[in-house]
Formats: sequence, structure tokens, C-alpha cells
Amino acid sequence: MSDEKFQVIIIGAGVAGSAAAYRLAKAGREVLVVEKGRAPGAKNMTGGRLYTYALEELMPGEWADAPLEREVTREIMMMMTPEDCVSIDSTFGSLEQQSYTVLRAKLDAWLAEKAEEAGAMIIPGSTVDGLIFKDGKVAGIKTGDEELEADLVISAEGVNATVAERSGLIRPVNLKDIAVGVKHVIKLSEEIINERFNTVSGKGAAVLCVGDCNRGISGGAFLYTNKESISLGLVVDSQSWKNSKLPLADVAESLKQHPALARYIEGGELVEYSAHLIPEGGFNSLPQLCADGFLLAGDAAGFVVNRGFTVRGMDYAILSGIAAAEAANEAIEAGVYTKSALKSYENKLQQRVLKDLGVFKKSHDYIAHSRHLYTTYPRLAADLMKNIYNVDGSPAKLVTGLVKQSISGKISYFDVFKDMLKGGRSL
Amino acid sequence: MKRLSMDDRLAKNRFDSDDHNSHILVDKEACRSCGHRACTYCCPAERYKWDTINDKLSFDHVGCLECGNCRLICERLNQGAEGYSWNYPGQGIGIIFREG
Repeated sequence: MSDEKFQVIIIGAGVAGSAAAYRLAKAGREVLVVEKGRAPGAKNMTGGRLYTYALEELMPGEWADAPLEREVTREIMMMMTPEDCVSIDSTFGSLEQQSYTVLRAKLDAWLAEKAEEAGAMIIPGSTVDGLIFKDGKVAGIKTGDEELEADLVISAEGVNATVAERSGLIRPVNLKDIAVGVKHVIKLSEEIINERFNTVSGKGAAVLCVGDCNRGISGGAFLYTNKESISLGLVVDSQSWKNSKLPLADVAESLKQHPALARYIEGGELVEYSAHLIPEGGFNSLPQLCADGFLLAGDAAGFVVNRGFTVRGMDYAILSGIAAAEAANEAIEAGVYTKSALKSYENKLQQRVLKDLGVFKKSHDYIAHSRHLYTTYPRLAADLMKNIYNVDGSPAKLVTGLVKQSISGKISYFDVFKDMLKGGRSL
Repeated sequence: MKRLSMDDRLAKNRFDSDDHNSHILVDKEACRSCGHRACTYCCPAERYKWDTINDKLSFDHVGCLECGNCRLICERLNQGAEGYSWNYPGQGIGIIFREG
């Protein structure tokens, strides 16, 4: 058995696992990645957008061939009622572009290949059934009839971290900390996408929507332009949706009919329908990140920040993969794999990932429990803009009068003030 | 775009399914005593339906997108109550996202 022992076994060839594998392999370690999907990426899904500073950090100057879809050069926020929509459409000529739309089947396959080229061994099509423990220390994994040993196991197994949960290393994820995402990938030609979004090849838009699209439940809809397809979907708070008793799949399908979105996908063809969970609990829901012989990275650790206008997870997953690899390297150098030796992982994460999660520790609570965000405010915005643009010959009013008319009877000024103040301090 | 039925939506996906062995187990008899039946409206793939004629849950694991939402909204799946369990399919079986 000893000749089959790896220095590090990583569960999951998503972006966190492959980032860690890439770094470890580059450092000359014997690293094995076990992936449950038929191929890396086969079980993964994103909205989605990747903030690419994280790739630059992982492999400076080496990610030019990454399968990125379109650079996001236009950000649109939509507030919707069933009939109307008010959009804030932003383009920033003054900013270096920082993010790209991505599709995980391609991105994950590419990153896993990079790790493999660097010397990591990747076994897809293998579901990890459990961990091996020796004297209380994690000492390997079980998959099928096989037992594989390692000095250190990094779980980058994703949001349903059943391996870590069932071995008792982390407490089970809580429904209140989870959002569910549903996505349609709709095929359209590159030219049509360029035309409809007033853009050129290689560049595109990110659209986030709140209001009727999520039926007033905490969450929102998204639309991202890929090279030759559009990703259109819905993300909602799992617990709130359970309480709402609304049919999730139906509401997700209805997205395609909303006039503000329908025009973008007209004539397109559905090529994939997917769903995935997102660990949105943030700082207050973080599990234990290390144990003897064990580290937790990416979605399994809950490294996601949703501020409403930006949703980040894949960049944090990559950063946590890098940090896990660095901590693993130090542990291997020292030959010590105890929990206290692995604490350096948390210290590394503290510099950015945990720091960001800490800064936005109230954002999940705010987003999940400020009901006016999804009902009253989109309605107010639409009504106000309608009133402002309305010219029907009746006596005209000043803007202040129109604002009063729009708000009157829908919400108290005190509630608006409270939500603004709380939002400013949470997001 | 016209509305598509769930079957039509799922037909666009690639699955390599084990038709006989389900990765999710539920006790349909025991499900009768469930107070919320959230699985019937929270599953993005509509795999759980309430069969009103027989007053019984019907569940089809083929077509499951493996999101795990049922694992969290159903207390019995979540706690692994007797007759209930949630696992990913083994050996690369199940959904194979080509876009993701």
C-alpha cells in the first residue's frame, strides 16, 4: 500500500481542486484528484462570470488560452414588474475589464488539463464514498472498492459536501444558507448576440434582475452573454422558496417570457437545462476549514459572497485552492499534518477570502430578509419612471410630487430610509 | 421562445443514467405523512410529483440534475431517516453537463 500513497489527494476537479492540484504539481508533489463527473466540469454549473485576477494569481501570464466566453464590458441591472422594467445600464470606458463569462464544462476541463500537464494525476468518474482515518487523522479516501492513502486530503467537493459532512469533519450545511440556481443555455449565433447587445465579438454583457422574475422571493434572475449562447437563469433563497410554495421550474421557465428578457433570446434554441446550489451563507456559516490531515476549499467551505450586484465564488474558489496548496506544501516540508500545523491555511485565507467574507458578513441576511428589495422597490422604480415619462395632457407635476405619488401608500419613508442605511452597511 | 415542457427541457441534456438503481431513495409510503411536500415544487427538474389518484408521491431519479435542493428542503433526506438517502451517482453516471 505504501507505494500507492500520495502526498495529497484532492476531492473534486472543479476550479478550487484543480487550482490546488496545479500548484502542488508545480511544486513537484505527488497529487491525485478524484472527480465524480465523467470528466472535470461534467457536474458543475455557474451563472456565470469569473473575475480573472484569480487566474492571473494562479498562473501569472499562463491563462491566455483559457476557454473564456466574453469579456464583460457592460453591466445591466433590471428592476421588473410583470409588465415593466427599469434598467441601469453601465459601461466603464475608464476601467480595465476584469471579468469574463464562462461555461464550466469547458473551463473546468481546461484547468484540470493544466493541472495534469503540470504533473497531477486526475481520475474522473470516481465518486468518493468516505474518508480513511488513522489515529483520528484523515489518511486517505475510499472510492468504490478502492482505498487510496495520502498524507493530506483536500476536499474541494463542492456545495453538497457529503464526504466532509458524513465523516463528521464539518457540520451539515443549513437550508437557510443555500440558494438554488436554475439555468437555460440558449444557443444563438455570435452575430445575433453582438447585434442584440450592441457589442462586438469577444465582449458582452452581464444582466442581473430583481422583482417579478423571482416573484418577490429573495434572489434574482441573471443573463450572461457567452460566445455563441446566452445563459439565462434564476437564483433564489432555498428556504424562502420552500416557504413560498411556488413552482420553481415553472417560474424559471417563465423568465423566457418576460418582455424585458424575451427579446434577447428570441429565435434561440435551448441546448442545456441545469440546476445547482450556491452556498450563500457567508461568514456566519463558515464550517471548520481544517482538521488533522484535512483541508476544505471552494464551495465546500462556503467561500461565496453575494452582494446583489456582484456574486463571487469561483475567484474565491481559486484563491482558496492556491492557499490550500501553499499550506499543504508547508506541511509536507515540515512533515507535520496536524490541525494546528494546517492553521496556516486559515491565515493565508485571512488576507483576502476570509477578509472579504467578513466585510460582507451581513449581506446574506440583508439580501435574504429585505423583502421590499424584491417587491416594493422594483414597483416603485417602474412607477416613478412611468410617471416621469408620462405626458398625457393632464396637469404636470414636479419630480418631488411624482416621487410622493409613487411611494404613497406602498411603503413608509422610514422603511425606505432603514433599508438604505442597512443596505449601505451590509453590501 | 415558446414554453417547453420539463421533458423537452431535460431532453436537451446529456444523461448516462442507471435506470434501475436510484442515487436518491425516498419511502413513498412514509412520504404520505409529510406536512409540506416541498419536493413537489422545489425540484428544478420536477422529479417529485404528487400522484393525486393514489394519493402518493411519485419520484423518478432519471433526469435528476443532482443539485441537491431536495437533500436540504426535505428533513427526512437531510437527516437520512430510515428509507431515505441522498448520494451522488457513482462512476460518472447521471447528468453530464456539456455547457455548465
